[in-house]
Amino acid sequence: MISRAGWFAAMAAAATFTLVSAGFAEEPPSLKEAVESGKLPPMEERLPDVPRVIDMAAHGKTNGAYGGTLRMLMADAKDIRMMTIYGYSRLVGFNEQLEIVPDILESFEVEEGRIFTFHLRPGHRWSDGHPFTAEDFRYAWEDVETNEALSRGGASAVMLVDGELPTFEVVDELTVRYTWAKPNPQFLPSLAGASPNYIAQPAHYLKQFHEKYATADELAAKVKAAGSRDWVALHTVKARAYRPENPELPTLEPWMNTTPPPAERFVFKRNPFFHRVDGEGNQLPYIDEVYLGISSADIIPAKTGTGDSDLQARYLRFDNFTFLKESSEQHKFDVKLWKDGTGSQVAYLPNLNVSDPVWRELFRDARFRRALSLGIHREEINQQFYYGLAQPAANSVLEGSPLYKPQYAQAYAEYDPDRANALLDEIGLKRGADGVRLLPDGRRAEIIIEMAGGTEETDVTQLVTEYWGTLGIKVFSRAMQLDNMRRRFLSGETMMSVWAGLNVGLATPDMPPEELAPVSAVQGTWPQWGQYLETNGVAGEKIDVPEVARLAELFQAWRVSSTTEERTAIWHDMLAIYTDQVFTIGTVNGVLQPVVVRNTLKNVPAEGIYAFSPVSFFGVYMPDTFWFDKE
Amino acid sequence: MLRYIAYRLLAAIPTLFLISALVFIIIELPPGDYFETYVAELQAQGETVDPKKIEYLKQEYGFDQPLIERYFTWVGGMLQGDFGYSFEYELPVSEVVGNRLWLTILVSTITIIFTWLIAFPIGIYSATHQYSWSDYGLTFLGLLGLATPNFLLALILLYFANVWFGTSIGHLMDAQYIDQPMSWPKFWSMAEHMVIPVIVIGTAGTAGMIRRLRANLLDELQKQYVVTARAKGVPPTRALLKYPLRMSLNFFIADIGSILPAVISGAEVVAIVLSLETTGPLLIRALQSQDMYLAGSFLMFLATLTVIGVLVSDIALAILDPRIRLQGGRR
Repeated sequence: MISRAGWFAAMAAAATFTLVSAGFAEEPPSLKEAVESGKLPPMEERLPDVPRVIDMAAHGKTNGAYGGTLRMLMADAKDIRMMTIYGYSRLVGFNEQLEIVPDILESFEVEEGRIFTFHLRPGHRWSDGHPFTAEDFRYAWEDVETNEALSRGGASAVMLVDGELPTFEVVDELTVRYTWAKPNPQFLPSLAGASPNYIAQPAHYLKQFHEKYATADELAAKVKAAGSRDWVALHTVKARAYRPENPELPTLEPWMNTTPPPAERFVFKRNPFFHRVDGEGNQLPYIDEVYLGISSADIIPAKTGTGDSDLQARYLRFDNFTFLKESSEQHKFDVKLWKDGTGSQVAYLPNLNVSDPVWRELFRDARFRRALSLGIHREEINQQFYYGLAQPAANSVLEGSPLYKPQYAQAYAEYDPDRANALLDEIGLKRGADGVRLLPDGRRAEIIIEMAGGTEETDVTQLVTEYWGTLGIKVFSRAMQLDNMRRRFLSGETMMSVWAGLNVGLATPDMPPEELAPVSAVQGTWPQWGQYLETNGVAGEKIDVPEVARLAELFQAWRVSSTTEERTAIWHDMLAIYTDQVFTIGTVNGVLQPVVVRNTLKNVPAEGIYAFSPVSFFGVYMPDTFWFDKE
Repeated sequence: MLRYIAYRLLAAIPTLFLISALVFIIIELPPGDYFETYVAELQAQGETVDPKKIEYLKQEYGFDQPLIERYFTWVGGMLQGDFGYSFEYELPVSEVVGNRLWLTILVSTITIIFTWLIAFPIGIYSATHQYSWSDYGLTFLGLLGLATPNFLLALILLYFANVWFGTSIGHLMDAQYIDQPMSWPKFWSMAEHMVIPVIVIGTAGTAGMIRRLRANLLDELQKQYVVTARAKGVPPTRALLKYPLRMSLNFFIADIGSILPAVISGAEVVAIVLSLETTGPLLIRALQSQDMYLAGSFLMFLATLTVIGVLVSDIALAILDPRIRLQGGRR
């Protein structure tokens, strides 16, 4: 460890800003007692030597005051992972401009897109006060990720480039390096993700559950006491950081869980060793405690409306807006409207791998997909269900994305039934006596759309049924369970399914364009092709549409690209093909998401993007900077 | 009697064995397993899962083993008091269910008592005042309770309780009392929140009970011995309560068999709407997500309670009504 003298040297070397403001820094009142009684070291010693300073003014925020309890509602005990997402403490993370910046790391260097060197903050500690060092990376790599028992399936896909693992080295106590033979552009985004790739784990805590470090007797006793199958199961459960169910697991997040499940309410307390400070040197988070109440999803809007939540967006939908607004005055909260970050609110995915040969042929005909897209009156959907506040668009990236181009959003997104009809006629689908078009084999053109969503999908689909009906395509919709639907489209039974559009509506070139290419069996457009690539050809079908093959090629090129320029070019190529070919049929995007904020809760941006990826819902807006003003 | 009980207990073993097999088959019947459901759910929210990790989990929980082997592991575990593992909660089933069991028993017991308190007087009154306006009126009220969809009534009451009394929406207590030790404020908060579920679940049960009590009692009241008793000047209340009411209670005792499991499972739909911390929502959620050991253990538990309950009501019937003979096992 670095000595105290070294600490001052480091402080001096760091921004003078920190040094000067350190004088103003105040101990959080909730920790004062523990500090005075000697249970906790004072703040200067708890913070890393070089904390991450958040310049509130630069984010349009104000410095705040300590204290308070933030109450939020979740529908399921599994949802406590939202705290990991909202807390958004990552080795490197996205900022509001969607650039990747160091967060837990003090700095990092990337050479040739394949050599990654990470520098830790000296004096940084886990939430239990134990130093956070290179050993934690070594443990996570050597004893977990590449341990045959703990990672029976092998290392996670993102750590493999062409099937090869990186060389890992500990340069010194605070520096680690990962080196691949080829570039690995997925590595940094995976660390910055809402569901991060944990390459550092608290070794000092986890070793007691590891066969290699714990004595056999003690380990056996622990396995028995926990009722686990073996030490592997025990270690896996104890080490789970994304879903923080183990209150003993040290963390680097702003709040740590103190409630073991099952529970109706989870209490998260401030991490006294958190590494961020405000401009005055006050340690973040401002808020002492976060309560996550578990309710059923159906009554969360009602509970929120009666003031049971201080900050709520999850499980609220745009249709709740009027109700929430109405009760906002009485219960003293504000309803902000953020933009939803998906590429399309409701998107139709023709299954290019459907087993019916005639339909497969049709769906693979770009003219058919274009005709369906041109047949949708998007402005009417917008007016009907979203008060005209959304944008009619194809399923593509949103305007806030650096990759946005109007021609992607507008590709075949205008309402032009004449052109649609002309395209269908050109394909040779003649209308029968009752106006419904006939397939080449004489059957009526009837599409069954399968959906697993809520009322929104059903409503929009009703209009779409009308639109396509006038084109001579009869539509039937069928609701079912989500998992059933997924199995059906993989087996080729599903003709068309309804999902949300691109999850990364706010994509940056450094994020993997995996949604635009077949990569996995869970993609409704081309599940069989995705499965083929996912399983290296063991299952699924080989791609036999040139445009899709090109997308797959481009994605592979992205995976070994070394510069952002290269990646930008690849993204644009892919977006151009994807939108021109209309592989998915989008409706509207930029739908507004109600965000309920207690009147006294400050620093919550008035406008934001609500999405899992890349912004981690509230994550990049840093809930650790939110604070409660006295009424 | 002892011989009868012994026979019934022995007969319960193959019954429960058969039930366990059925439960297991039914839960296994839908294609896929918990992990596929899980992946689908995550994917719908934009999250992704490494397929290798899922593969690992499947192995870890023995999903690569044949069906029959998994069945015997499960049943064998249950015999030793190990109800298996809940994937959804990542906890042993007993821990997941344990907490909620007491609240469920509390809610259900109060509801049952509420139902009895309402249904008994009304039933007796309707029978003794047959075809009067008050008979029609009370029966109508009871049927109204049966006919109103429970979830709707729950929502309406929830709304008014909040607007008029400021009761927080859903749950069995205000949030600040969760995981607090019992105290008067907590007790009152619980009592306040208990009103809605008790009324909603209770009203649904009263109509049936009123009708059955009324019908049975009417049968008895017209019998010769009642007429004789009245003619000989036995006071009317005594002539009603001493024998006719006792005789008309057969159905009520026979109901005990189904009451026991009902006490544990609670009224699922209402509990979901009101977001009660009872076992009902747990069971439904487990069935939806194919969290099979949780769902299976729960169903087995209910089956066991039914078997015990039916036995209890048979014995109670024999005590209540001397005309009933227990003849199990004799040919």
